[in-house]
Amino acid sequence: MKMKAERLRNFKSIVLATTLALLISLSPTPVLSQNPDSVAGKGVPEQSASGKNALPKTHAAAPWPAHLPDGQPDMQGVWITAEYGMSCLKDPSRGVGCFTDHDGPNGDNGQLPRKFASRIIDTTDGEIPYQPWAKARQQYLLVNYFAPSMPEFLDPQQLCLPLGPVRQFTWHDVQIIQYDGYVIFAHEGGHVYQIIPLDGHPHVGPKIKLWMGDSRGHWEDNTLVIDVTNNNSKGRLSRAGDFASDKVHNVVRIKFIDAHHARYEAVFDDPSVYTKPWTFGFDLKRGIMEQTSGTDGSGGDGNYEQWEEACYEGMNNDVDRSLTTAATVSAGPAQK
Amino acid sequence: MIRKIAIVMLIAAAGFSLEVAGSSPPDATQLPRARDGKPNLSGIWQVLSPANFDLEDHSAQAGVPAGQGVVVDGDIPYQDWALKQKEKNYANRRTLDPESKCYLLGVPRITYAGHPFQVFQGSGADKITILYEYAHASRFIYMNGTDHPAGHIDWWMGDSRGHWQGETLVVDDTDFNDRTWFDRAGDFHSDQLHVVEHYTLTDPDHIDYSATIEDPKVFTKPWSIDLVLYRRKEKNVQILDYECPSFDIEKYYP
Repeated sequence: MKMKAERLRNFKSIVLATTLALLISLSPTPVLSQNPDSVAGKGVPEQSASGKNALPKTHAAAPWPAHLPDGQPDMQGVWITAEYGMSCLKDPSRGVGCFTDHDGPNGDNGQLPRKFASRIIDTTDGEIPYQPWAKARQQYLLVNYFAPSMPEFLDPQQLCLPLGPVRQFTWHDVQIIQYDGYVIFAHEGGHVYQIIPLDGHPHVGPKIKLWMGDSRGHWEDNTLVIDVTNNNSKGRLSRAGDFASDKVHNVVRIKFIDAHHARYEAVFDDPSVYTKPWTFGFDLKRGIMEQTSGTDGSGGDGNYEQWEEACYEGMNNDVDRSLTTAATVSAGPAQK
Repeated sequence: MIRKIAIVMLIAAAGFSLEVAGSSPPDATQLPRARDGKPNLSGIWQVLSPANFDLEDHSAQAGVPAGQGVVVDGDIPYQDWALKQKEKNYANRRTLDPESKCYLLGVPRITYAGHPFQVFQGSGADKITILYEYAHASRFIYMNGTDHPAGHIDWWMGDSRGHWQGETLVVDDTDFNDRTWFDRAGDFHSDQLHVVEHYTLTDPDHIDYSATIEDPKVFTKPWSIDLVLYRRKEKNVQILDYECPSFDIEKYYP
């Protein structure tokens, strides 16, 4: 009896072992974890980004930042420059050309105290270190901004053209969207976008010039570092005619300080235009529309959506009609 | 004896599993998948079909390749008045086509416009993002179960809400203006346009793309197009830009 029972047990063990061995050999390659990604509204701190319902306030906040499955810190959502304005590069509160009045030199009624420190943060006078020919060119464009008699005097933003990888941050908000290996800046203004691959593959070749440049990025802790080349620089840098050449090299650092604040700094390196590199810097904050839609726990349903801004389609794109009938200004300094 | 049998069977099973693992080639039709198991449409895609010239069968003309139509089962079913309008559009296409002004092309034309586009898909994300090289068009395909906003809204690219039906991404598009054409041949619609797109990854490098078009003001019944999207596979390929509004005035900048 005992022998028979023991044989039965042995038989069962053999069948079980064989079955297991066969199952292991035939099972498909295991897919990556099917658990939903870490994303706002799914166990992620209430102050995190993007269209999911916020956690109730009583929930203990998870540490910031959450991380996405590919390891990126999750900085998604709507961000806007804390100091809006592109009329005067150094002081966004001022009018075009940094006059105190937005009507320009004719409306200028004296110097008012600056509200902000210069956005040009590393030159002694807070100004762009232009070479003399470049300064003359910028002044020529500025003077003609107020009564543009030729197409080159129209600021590219007035024609709904892309403004370049740095200036685009000074106009309307930007939605940061992250996917595996990519950061995307989806700018509200004119639905312009920047794609920032994180895999470090080479830039495109030097003969390709792009309105938004060519970006390659990587994360250093909570700072996104972006190398930008191949910029056609046609978007200029301000309404006042500030500019770089198409040889400009930008290194952008966006340091995310907490869930609501970031610091943006872009180095402009262009020896054909400037006497030395200089840095443009400003603060970013979480967009107000996102705060009211609850991603910071303050209420709302967290379902902010960026809707279409068909700037170019909406404008009168007859360039000639945007020009004044003022007599043509005599030719000024040409772009090198 | 029993132990010997057990050992033999285990060795046989192990040998079988090694054979299975070692000798069969990787399955070339195994689709790339996102973490949630869905087919992963991420990547850069482009059509080869000349659909943007004319959705229907057409012969060659200067600058226009001949094309077999992508309309499923016949021609576009215009109402009588609309067919006359299409013919007027065709006669004046060089000036009336919104593409000639570099306007946004609408849906589904942006898909087969002939420029590449990049699909970004992440499981857990509330949307699939598609960024198009042509005129930096962008679309957000919301995947979070939300409805279209209270309409009607006159958008060039419409409003897109998507969900998975098995292995197919289904995208429902509404809220269009009446300013876009379906192709360069004058095929048009009203602001009642409703499009349902289907994206099906048939193998890792091809998407079967179909779109059903409904517009009771213009057509006698819904109709569909069907074409193939090809994955761009060149080393380090990326989408660039095509800022056609600037072409006439580029010489003035910087």
